[in-house]
Amino acid sequence: MDFRRQLSAELPVLRRFARALTGDPALADDLVQDCLERAMLKSHLYDASRPLRAWLFTMLRNLHISGIRRSGRATVVKTVDDLADGEGAVPPEQENRLAAGSVSDALNRLSPQHREVIVLVGLEEMSYRDVSEILGVPVGTIMSRLSRAREQMRQLLEDRGYTGLRRVK
Amino acid sequence: MTNEHNDHMEDWALHAYVDGELSAEQRAEVEALMARDPEAARKVADWKRQREFLKTAFDGVLDEPVPQQLAAALRERTAHPRISPWLAMAAAVLLLLFGGLGGWFLKGETAPVTVADLGQQALEAHSVYAVEVRHPVEVPGADKDHLQAWLSKRVGTAFKVPDLTEQGYTLLGGRLLSGDEGPAALLMYEDQKGQRVSVVLASPGTDMDTALKLQESGKLIACAWQDGKLAVAVAGEMARDPMMVLSKAVYEKLEG
Repeated sequence: MDFRRQLSAELPVLRRFARALTGDPALADDLVQDCLERAMLKSHLYDASRPLRAWLFTMLRNLHISGIRRSGRATVVKTVDDLADGEGAVPPEQENRLAAGSVSDALNRLSPQHREVIVLVGLEEMSYRDVSEILGVPVGTIMSRLSRAREQMRQLLEDRGYTGLRRVK
Repeated sequence: MTNEHNDHMEDWALHAYVDGELSAEQRAEVEALMARDPEAARKVADWKRQREFLKTAFDGVLDEPVPQQLAAALRERTAHPRISPWLAMAAAVLLLLFGGLGGWFLKGETAPVTVADLGQQALEAHSVYAVEVRHPVEVPGADKDHLQAWLSKRVGTAFKVPDLTEQGYTLLGGRLLSGDEGPAALLMYEDQKGQRVSVVLASPGTDMDTALKLQESGKLIACAWQDGKLAVAVAGEMARDPMMVLSKAVYEKLEG
């Protein structure tokens, strides 16, 4: 298949990934656009025996990270450790009606390292091995980041009134 | 999975179960564990729910119409330069990476390679390639002679690949960072802990000696200078002092 057509087929998923990674629709689409442009320029470097999606994710994620490094933009507003007890909590009657906004907001509070792992594994359903290649770190590191990220998500969602995630002590 | 308490291995098995990483046999083991350990079952349920939440929050994007700008980007023969703060920097990298194309890409403009530019380019190239586990370089360090001859020829100024063994770094190899108009060589080294540093060499077409110039970007730092016809930048993740020490070593090895 024509390379551009292949890119086009990956576009919706690429946009979802960028949206979850940045939490900002405009920024996400800018990233996707730059990723597409770069992919077309670098198409001769693409190894067709490997999944295109993982290649694009790697590129988009690296563009995102260098964007963060350069401008300090999209830095974490507040990490989970900074949160006072109950801050951002919603009334209990709203539990189980977790708005998409709360998930996005909780993701915003994760460190970039934790966020990218939980997004790649939990949302994009990439295998640990693929995530390891995309992020350039060993599978063991992926798993320990994932474990910490999920624990923080649980806590953050709980702070937002979602008691369904509470652990039995 | 004999220990029913919260040790890490057990949690990892639970994560792997949630993420579909287990064989049928392993899945059965985890299911047996969940049947006798409510805490394990609860964790699995929590994490599955988190996956569902993520889908609920972001799957809507899949059904959105593709924005015009993205559809247009796909139709273009190649990239248009856009004015966005970080694309300007990306363009610098692209120029370096695709020197031949780059001149055309920026409508014939070729930025002069100054020492500061090279430092910035080294930071960018390092952030792109140092994270590559499998393909950080095109030519491995084992082919040092070939690497040196090839990159010297393409850069246009002969240089000796610096031996940084005394500094604790092994040569991983190198790659070419551009085409005919802005040729640059990237050499990558790694220490025993897997920490990588890049040395970028270019031939800016001038003959001068400059002082060492330090630049920082996030955790990365670069040190760049020009020595005669060769412009050099060292980039990596370290503090200023060790970077200065390393850069002086590179300077001396290139001289000697």
